Amino acid sequence: MDQQLQNGSEFELDLGWMEKQGEWGVHAEPSKNGLTLADIQVGGYADAPDESRNLSGKPRGAVSRPGSMPIGNYTVRTKSEIWLENASFLYEEALQRQWSSATDIPWDTIEPLPDDVEQAQCQMATFLTEVEFVAGDVPSRWASQMSPDFYEARNVLMAQVMDEARHMDVFRKRALANGGGLMRATGATAGFVGGIDLARDFTEMSSRLHLSGEGAVLTIFRMGELMAYNDAEKAIYRLCAQDEARHVAFGVMHMRYMAANAPERREEIDSYLDEAEAGMLTDAANPAGQLNQTSESLSIMLGGGRKYFDEGFRKLVSIRKRQLQEYQKRVISAGFGERFKNGRSRLHDMLANVAN
Amino acid sequence: MATAKDADRVRPALTLSKEEREVEVPEPRLNWMNQSREWGIRVKPGKKGLTLGSLNVGLYGEIPMNWPDRTRNPRGAIGVTGSPPVAIQIKDKVDLWAPCAADLYEEAIQRRWAPATDVDWTAIHPLPEDVERAICQVCTEICQYAIIDVEVITSWQHQMAYGYHEVKQFLATTSLDATRRHEAFRKRALVNGGGLGYEGPCQVSRLLLESRGGWTETVTGLTLVRGLFTQVMIRYLTRFAYNGVERKIYECVTQDLARLLTYGIEHIKYALGHAPDRQGSIFTTLAIGMRMFNRDLRDPVLREALAIIFGGGIPGARNEGMHVFYEMLDEYVQELLSACQYLRLPVTMEQLPRVLQKDQRHLPGD
Repeated sequence: MDQQLQNGSEFELDLGWMEKQGEWGVHAEPSKNGLTLADIQVGGYADAPDESRNLSGKPRGAVSRPGSMPIGNYTVRTKSEIWLENASFLYEEALQRQWSSATDIPWDTIEPLPDDVEQAQCQMATFLTEVEFVAGDVPSRWASQMSPDFYEARNVLMAQVMDEARHMDVFRKRALANGGGLMRATGATAGFVGGIDLARDFTEMSSRLHLSGEGAVLTIFRMGELMAYNDAEKAIYRLCAQDEARHVAFGVMHMRYMAANAPERREEIDSYLDEAEAGMLTDAANPAGQLNQTSESLSIMLGGGRKYFDEGFRKLVSIRKRQLQEYQKRVISAGFGERFKNGRSRLHDMLANVAN
Repeated sequence: MATAKDADRVRPALTLSKEEREVEVPEPRLNWMNQSREWGIRVKPGKKGLTLGSLNVGLYGEIPMNWPDRTRNPRGAIGVTGSPPVAIQIKDKVDLWAPCAADLYEEAIQRRWAPATDVDWTAIHPLPEDVERAICQVCTEICQYAIIDVEVITSWQHQMAYGYHEVKQFLATTSLDATRRHEAFRKRALVNGGGLGYEGPCQVSRLLLESRGGWTETVTGLTLVRGLFTQVMIRYLTRFAYNGVERKIYECVTQDLARLLTYGIEHIKYALGHAPDRQGSIFTTLAIGMRMFNRDLRDPVLREALAIIFGGGIPGARNEGMHVFYEMLDEYVQELLSACQYLRLPVTMEQLPRVLQKDQRHLPGD
């Protein structure tokens, strides 16, 4: 090559690819929030197809190469299976609100707690570490199966996987930071039929993970003030609630899109909601549910100690009600509110028997 | 809010209804209390805060060579028996571990960035059309690499045992890094009067996605073939950046990729150190990877686009630009051989495809 340059000869260029580029002349403009995903939805690049035929992993809007191999093996290729209208917003918000459990939590505010309270905190932290594992791994698995033509939705799920990694680590840190330790796992996320792991359809998984599972945990995190004994715990619950709210929003907005664009699947989705409601208070994945390991530790945290268990339990019952009420609002927002009027939902009965 | 001292006396108020105040309270069983394998742990934050690695004290720091538990029991907790297992396939430490994973995880979080706001997108100016087309083509191919990286990493992460949570958590950062890489390069392609280009060839991607036999083998391709090449390419793009927008993107992406490469190389080293019989499969995977890479390199598109960027346009691409392109390939080869030497993999220049051998390659125009 050096000799070639010295001789003054030049490399021949093909340059045929310059005639094969996608839509040209695009000028995405930054908005007040920088150059967001929403800002680059311009021209043909804005259009996510109803059915993706992209099996090779090319970026949406790039020109296909004839003969490219279908290496993607995507099982989610229909827009309604995955789409939501505000994915770009949720993703950008997730990036802006990333936080560090190492440095954003004021760990030095933790002081020794009475042993019963510390045990309750550690039991809850053990449980939350355990369930955050599933909330990270399952979206991760699904992301690998989605066409990149729906990258906005995929991006939100990847941000969720990161959020859940941080939740796992912050609750592990809490358990090991104040003279306690990890306690007993619950098996709440084992591979049961009807569990988050085993869903064979993305919307089915999302209804279990985002809408009911994370929805219930979100209510708990929002009540973090009632369970926190120092600024560190307060910060943990507040920051986790921010993250969790985005994950729940993903589920609600996806279901809303599904309801509007795939009405033939409404009955199927109502069946998922039937299952979700049936397990809402009995399922071990709800820390305020009936599993004594978690409900008793929450009661001790809420009451202020073992000897105030009764007071704590009554607060727990109030939180259960909030969980159900917030779930109802989400389902209505998702476009499935009819079930609360036509007698299909058991929520009314559940609200009446929430203490049992 | 209550403090530790008055925790047993004062709790924040939650207004309860009359009905809630009259709820019959069951007798607690409390059979979960005093159930811990090790109690009395008090990890203090250090100068980098309370880090993941610092939690590895006492039995919580015991990371066994095998983790047969196929539930989600956190390491160090009392496990649950009798639960139906989840689909965990990677249960041996040798198959995924890198001692640096916890540190890389914390570093990834500290070095987080957002393409929307950390890049000054107003600092971009129109470029000659041939250069803009070349940049957009390179952006398209890097986007495609990033898309595949996400798919590769996420298809393995859930198969890894929870006893090795440091690795799983680090991998969560790498898939978000790759997501952000896709985002940043897509934004660059669409911000300056250009657009996306022609889909790249897929042989290395195919190797990565079809490497189902083992995570270590996948990491070999992801690190030594795709990752190292991308890292060197971005280093050269930084040298030839046309504006601050590109420079900032390259700088941030370089940091992200460096962590993935560090994990990958350190994992391979760990695997070879603890299972020397794996050397054969890693060597063979790398050899196959080089063949796939060679096939991708036969495609002129990326080569020409990079040469145009390096040469300042099409005329410059025909000589200086192409010269820089091959210099870049030579640098990749040097880094690859250095990594192999560090790993004690017996890879020599002569075993590489001819296009990667400076003295043997057939050049366009020969």
